[in-house]
Amino acid sequence: MAPMALRHEFEALTGHDVNLCFQCGKCSAGCPMAERMDLKPAQVVHYIRLGRSEEVVLNSKAIWLCLGCETCSSRCPQQVEPAAAMNAARILALRRGRKPAVKEVGIYYRAFVNNMRLNGEIHDASVVAITHLRTGHPFHDLPLAWKLFTRGRVKPPPLPLHGGGFRKLYRRALDRDLDTGG
Amino acid sequence: MRYGYYPGCSLEGISAEYDDSIRGLLAHLNVAIEEVPDWICCGTLAASSLSRLMGPATALWNVARAKHAGYDQLIAPCSACLYHFKHATKRVAENPALRAEIEALLELPLAAPPPTIHPLELLTADGFEARIRGLVQRDLSDLKVVCYYGCHISRPAAVMQFDDPENPQSMDRLLSWVGVKALDWSGKVDCCGAHYSLIRPDIVVDLCQGLFESALEVGAEAIVAACPMCHANLDTRQGEIGARLGRSLDMPVLYFSQVLGYALGLPIKSLGLKRHIVDPLPLMLAKCAQAGSAKGEVPSA
Repeated sequence: MAPMALRHEFEALTGHDVNLCFQCGKCSAGCPMAERMDLKPAQVVHYIRLGRSEEVVLNSKAIWLCLGCETCSSRCPQQVEPAAAMNAARILALRRGRKPAVKEVGIYYRAFVNNMRLNGEIHDASVVAITHLRTGHPFHDLPLAWKLFTRGRVKPPPLPLHGGGFRKLYRRALDRDLDTGG
Repeated sequence: MRYGYYPGCSLEGISAEYDDSIRGLLAHLNVAIEEVPDWICCGTLAASSLSRLMGPATALWNVARAKHAGYDQLIAPCSACLYHFKHATKRVAENPALRAEIEALLELPLAAPPPTIHPLELLTADGFEARIRGLVQRDLSDLKVVCYYGCHISRPAAVMQFDDPENPQSMDRLLSWVGVKALDWSGKVDCCGAHYSLIRPDIVVDLCQGLFESALEVGAEAIVAACPMCHANLDTRQGEIGARLGRSLDMPVLYFSQVLGYALGLPIKSLGLKRHIVDPLPLMLAKCAQAGSAKGEVPSA
């Protein structure tokens, strides 16, 4: 695929123009996860601009380490919205069959969304249990879980809300997404 | 004015004390709320990250139902839900093609939906200051706190349109109406680490250790929060954060609605004050006793 075509996909998803970035670095400076990232936010934006997002950005850990705090988008003087670019990169990476480069984030997001699709409302304990199991920490946080339980902060599994009618929404949203995706 | 109420998944479980205290506080202030019928999870970052449409669609399912029910405003106490609702609402307002796609998925109209607001937005709006000041029952003027706003409530400004994204003041102001003077500090909008609590708690410890250091530096005895994720990280991970700092922190984390409700004389149990991992009661009771009210309990009428 022509490199700039992917850049246009970014713009279609975010509604923002990475070409406005003049590399001031405020996004990287304010990012709470920057020191753990392989690419800093300003670098992610720059690689998208250069048409190198396919081989560099979509494979990066940075886009998965991003936790959506929006410090970058809040401070950007050019309204480039690096946080939106990070989110678009996650969607585009998955559309192209790339596994999330930060495995445990991918596991957690999947567990969360699967639980949403099952119940409508999240059942915290299920999401936590499945995430811990799949990330190889089955006994993690059991003492904390007990303390929360005794304080009435662990809800019982909800019945699928409204008979599961919301499941149609997810199925149709994902089908449409795949139809219109890359 | 009809207010819809969207508790969200956290308030029904791990953040029950926030739900307790918000409902109790609003009832005490004669603000009637109606829970959104048939609500589902807002989707948070997980749904937004995995699918172009599922993120906004799942958030707007709830906004569409709030509109259908005829609410004038929709109150969402969780900052993450608030952010996803406001963000999706703005995107479909600006993008008619996206709005048409989501209306087709939801089979509900999305034109002119009610705005989603945080309880802080409601309480700092006109008319509440005099009411709140007039209802104070317990003296908390000796309580030293810092207000922790977190990430989503005011960022980015173009989406959230509430308070200052670098130095917000709404919570500080609100607490001053019940006599609590919040201390100025540098951690107001620093990220707590969010969902990393589940998968990389070491990252939460890294990010929150600075928050506690800043709070201690200005002499805070408690941190007041406005977001269930922030609260969970500061409260449930406090032991580990203290271990990293080499000290026992014992710094209660309270929701602004708990502080307000307590000052207005609401019963302790109704404010969820017994649900915390780091027990706030010894501090609350001591502060009231110091100020002269007998043991922090409201004198019988």
